[in-house]
Amino acid sequence: MSALAVLLRKELHATFTSPIGYVLAAVFLLVLGYSFALTLFATKTANLIYIFHQMYVLSILLVPVLMMRSFAEERRADTLELLLTAPVREIWIVLAKFLAGLALVYGMYAGSLLYAVILALYGEPDWGPVYSSYLALMLHGALLVAIGLMTSSVTENQVVSAALSLGLALMLWFADSVAYLLPAPFDAVAINLSLIGHFRPMVTGSVFVSDIGYFVTLVMLALFLTTRWLSER
Amino acid sequence: MFDERDHFALSHPPSAPSGHLPPHAGEGSGTHEQPAVVAEALTKRYGPVVALQDLSLQIRRGEVFGLLGPNGSGKTTFIRMLAGYLAPTRGRLSVSGLDTVRDALPARRRLGYVPEAAPLYGHMRVREFLEFMGRLRGLAPRELAAAVDRVVERLALGDVQRKPTRALSRGYRQRVAIAQALIHEPEVIVLDEPTNGLDPRQIIEVRELVRSLGGTHTVIMSSHILTEVAKTADRVAILLGGRLLGVRSVADTPDLEDWFLSLT
Repeated sequence: MSALAVLLRKELHATFTSPIGYVLAAVFLLVLGYSFALTLFATKTANLIYIFHQMYVLSILLVPVLMMRSFAEERRADTLELLLTAPVREIWIVLAKFLAGLALVYGMYAGSLLYAVILALYGEPDWGPVYSSYLALMLHGALLVAIGLMTSSVTENQVVSAALSLGLALMLWFADSVAYLLPAPFDAVAINLSLIGHFRPMVTGSVFVSDIGYFVTLVMLALFLTTRWLSER
Repeated sequence: MFDERDHFALSHPPSAPSGHLPPHAGEGSGTHEQPAVVAEALTKRYGPVVALQDLSLQIRRGEVFGLLGPNGSGKTTFIRMLAGYLAPTRGRLSVSGLDTVRDALPARRRLGYVPEAAPLYGHMRVREFLEFMGRLRGLAPRELAAAVDRVVERLALGDVQRKPTRALSRGYRQRVAIAQALIHEPEVIVLDEPTNGLDPRQIIEVRELVRSLGGTHTVIMSSHILTEVAKTADRVAILLGGRLLGVRSVADTPDLEDWFLSLT
């Protein structure tokens, strides 16, 4: 078994035996169910766009809490020393935690498929935006997991880790709001950094390579920085 | 909490007592065999703080080597550099001829490390934890069960192998931490303050275990207790303020205490 597989197995076991994941997933699905019922009765249209925006916001609030333990807990319990002195590369340790985090977040998102099924049973939804919205959510979730991992790698305090992660995600969300205060070319940079600016087109059914590239680039940057910080000892 | 007081007898496989080292490991024996550990002008700085300065020493194969010094003397820094957890600021450190920075992964494969806190994953059972550490160290599935059985027997962990590690007492935690370091039969075993927090009987157990490992393995242990090192090690190095003050054979230094006081 490769080192990545060994580490991933351990991370999945730790993730899915901890009650935190289940509690947060329950909160996520409860709030989502409430919003779904409310918007469905109010608009009477087979549309999931509100639900995807709701998931976008809920993810920003909940994923930092899900990920705050990853490295911070290992540091607190001194088990990070065991991992970092084992004959495995730091990148495998980071990737294992990233994939385990993704599994949990995607599991949470999978619960929302029920709403799509309900719409299909009682209406005729436009499936194109539904598919592109799930792609947007998966990319958004991956970015939040990577950011959570990165902030968790710089501190042993879980609350600090969650606060940093939430702060970074919020700054990315509202990055375009400060664009009008900045001179060129920084205003364009701020606009292009905007999280919602790259999420919104996909939720309405427009998939651009630039939007996918934005998420993939930031995920790779966060994973690279996590690995670098872990290697700096 | 599981108590280990009824299970003191650790089972040691027949091995040369560390006091009877192979001929190449003795003091002053001319040998062509590569030392187990070589440190050359090793320095570690944390910003302006110098944790270790220009440490040079060689540790022979099969010996039990003690690092003695008060808290903050640089013992843990040296041990962490040896284990690959810290990188030297300057100088060179090698395990079996492999540089701990340039050849980090092969060097770590030859080493078993027990950190001072004896960290374990609380959500795992003892056997599961040992299997995880074995896999992480590259043991093949067909070797794994036998390797776990071997360390479980050697460290007398049979009664607790199905228990979650979070339910273990300090003594058992230490044993499990040592077992994970032995699982891949490393050439060099590094123990950071292995008797810290143990009761007197547990200290005797760990001491016996360390001595039984000598000869077949190179054992490097740190302690701030002089008698502990004197009873366990073949040679002892004294560190103070990040500097190496001296290295001596315990057998050739009947009054280790006087020597320690004269240096510090």
